[in-house]
Amino acid sequence: MIIPVRCFTCGKLVGDKWEEFARRIKTGENASDVLDSLDLSRYCCRRMLLSNVEIIDQVLRFNEETEKRKEAHNFY
Amino acid sequence: MKIEVQEKDEKIIRLIVKDVDVSLMNSLRRIIVSEVPSMSIDEVVVIENSSILQDEIISHRLGLIPLTTDLEGYNLPENCSCASEFGCNLCRVTLTMNSEARDQTQTVYSGELVSENPAVIPVSDKIPIVKLSKGQKLKFEAYARLGKGKKHAKWQPVSMCTYKYYPKIEVPSKECKDCSKCVDICPKRVLGMKGKRVEIKNLLACNLCMDCVDECPKNVPPIKITWEKNAYILSIESTGVLPPEKIIQQTTKILEEQLTELKREIEAIKK
Ligand SMILES: [Zn+2]
Ligand SMILES: [Zn+2]
Repeated sequence: MIIPVRCFTCGKLVGDKWEEFARRIKTGENASDVLDSLDLSRYCCRRMLLSNVEIIDQVLRFNEETEKRKEAHNFY
Repeated sequence: MKIEVQEKDEKIIRLIVKDVDVSLMNSLRRIIVSEVPSMSIDEVVVIENSSILQDEIISHRLGLIPLTTDLEGYNLPENCSCASEFGCNLCRVTLTMNSEARDQTQTVYSGELVSENPAVIPVSDKIPIVKLSKGQKLKFEAYARLGKGKKHAKWQPVSMCTYKYYPKIEVPSKECKDCSKCVDICPKRVLGMKGKRVEIKNLLACNLCMDCVDECPKNVPPIKITWEKNAYILSIESTGVLPPEKIIQQTTKILEEQLTELKREIEAIKK
């Protein structure tokens, strides 16, 4: 749904690293190098970022569309 | 006992400990993991939550946020003089949040938590708690308390705490020539080639996996992997709640307290 705060296995904080990771992956950087530079050395923490899908963005679209429809309804 | 600091920064400390028994190393490890207290949110009063995540999920995420800990200023709730379930100023810190997405979808970060004590704040300001779309609100009051790792892993001050034997590698100089099988197989890149000979490049990285011995084509492998007697490498990685050297100080203090208590109990039986 949304990036977990900590690694499931070891408990290292990973939540604050997601946004930088996602941004740098989008620019075409190598995932392994990005993870190294974020100081994630164990594979338990690396998979937290590698395998995360931010589904919350897709779920939020329902609320965003509802809000738009409400606004349009008020306008006419 | 001899202790040597091999590596240290604000999160990691690596010590080489010599002339001690494994049992002591293991008791240190277990105390670090389950007895050293740290601060964490463990009660949340949700006043308003119109986000798409349920109250329980947000509370769980809040609990996992590591908070910088002030061990001198606070008591463990079970040892506090107030003896109340709710807590007092000496055993509880209140953090509040009041966030609303006014114009567009936005992320609520840990930095928006307002703490009543500036010494107890989230380790990082950039931990996403939830995302709010336009018009959604999140308002709550959270209570952080000291706790121990044996009750819940969120109170563990470390994300890694291990010890291993100090490795001892004997590399043959005469028998081995033009063969680099042991060098190539090593997952930790402990060995290297110097001309045609095998040499040790990074001794401390060795985890005694013995792959190099297994890979050797000779019947009696000339390379020998053993470990030093009573020498260990202790590695600690803090989650940021306490500096690593402080964690070790606390550990020795707790071990001493426990041993004193054990001694007192035994003497009580004797009488
Ligand atoms: Zn991990
Ligand atoms: Zn109290």
